[in-house]
Amino acid sequence: MSAASHAHDDHDDHAHGGHGKDHVPHVLPLAVYLGTFATLLFLTAITVGASYVNFGAWNLILAMVIATVKAATVALIFMHLWFDHKFHSIIIGSSVLFLTIFITFTMFDTENRGRAEAIEGEKPADIRNPFKASERQADMMRNMGPISSATADVARPSPPAPASAAATASAAPVPSATVAPSASVSAAPSGSTSATPAPSASVAPSASASAKKP
Amino acid sequence: MSTAETTAESGKETELSPQFHVAHHFDSADTQFDAGRMGIWLFLVTEVLLFGGLFCAFAIFRSWYFDSFVEAHHHLDKVMGGINTVVLISSSLTMALAVRSAQQSKKELTAILLAITLACAFAFLCIKYVEYSHKFHEGLLPGKYFSAEGFHTKHPGVFFAIYFMMTGIHGVHVVIGMCLITWILRRTMRGEFSSRYYAPVEGVGLYWHLVDLIWIYLFPLLYLVG
Repeated sequence: MSAASHAHDDHDDHAHGGHGKDHVPHVLPLAVYLGTFATLLFLTAITVGASYVNFGAWNLILAMVIATVKAATVALIFMHLWFDHKFHSIIIGSSVLFLTIFITFTMFDTENRGRAEAIEGEKPADIRNPFKASERQADMMRNMGPISSATADVARPSPPAPASAAATASAAPVPSATVAPSASVSAAPSGSTSATPAPSASVAPSASASAKKP
Repeated sequence: MSTAETTAESGKETELSPQFHVAHHFDSADTQFDAGRMGIWLFLVTEVLLFGGLFCAFAIFRSWYFDSFVEAHHHLDKVMGGINTVVLISSSLTMALAVRSAQQSKKELTAILLAITLACAFAFLCIKYVEYSHKFHEGLLPGKYFSAEGFHTKHPGVFFAIYFMMTGIHGVHVVIGMCLITWILRRTMRGEFSSRYYAPVEGVGLYWHLVDLIWIYLFPLLYLVG
């Protein structure tokens, strides 16, 4: 059993050699290595060449896509990941996954800093009762005279009346109201005759609006 | 495979890697190999973690000081960086081929390929040294040490802080890799590795490829896109 012929069979199963037997290496043909090397050089040339052309925001994306293709080539061939146990791919793949989560979620933070402060400066929150109107708003309301709490800005947490009506309608368990577009279609002809409470109006706001007409 | 062949092969292979044995807690030589390889992959995950923090810092500061990053990255030498990329990819090839020849019990070829890998690593560091000394000379230094003039943006020092930190830690990895390659080169010349046992060559190879992988990302991010 030569090493070269072994290279082409049982890629997934490395359980050759039982107890006490020697390890039989999985040797790849030389051409695979040289081909990988040529691919890497070619991709390097492309990424350098592309850097002399300005694609705007696509510069970074293009460079990262090429770099990722190169990295995958190195990992799969040079690092034998393609021929190795799949568990090793899962190990390194999970690290890349969590690195992506790490960077993405950090960017969610750092890209949005300073946005909340401006709003909070306008409307300082009472920490003990965050849904209560602030002092300034209370002054404004007193100056403006008696107004209903539903129309004032104070009632932001609770949704406006039509929306809450639609919410209660959708909360009712109606089997036909699973898909929004079909629900709105069925609500249009039948709404005038039979269904005033419009049980089929689910999520689509247009459906609830048409149902309220009669 | 006939029994005659088996005995002939095992008779031949006992001459290879005479010091090698399968530890008693492993079922077979394959299990031992796989356990070692999985350990290396777990170690590589911690390396991804280490560099991941730096890549994250790069992403944050690039989005905050985009103009500075674009202006500052033009002061890096694309040609030198490109040559270093080719040097490192070549060293990755010779490292992979060294593992291959170790798998085939070709002692001399393995030694030669490891020596070429070592030479490539050394060349990489020499080019890096030339680049660094240019930066020092021009005052393109990290953070508050930045003293170059004629910049139109406010934070080029932040770019060079990240540049030196990322390429510096990568350079430390290259130096550590050179030490490891020297170690397995010595062991290769002592005839310790063969198709029966080449796990250290493979492990150092995996580490060396990761060093190459990180450079594959560093080069476009720092030199090309900025």
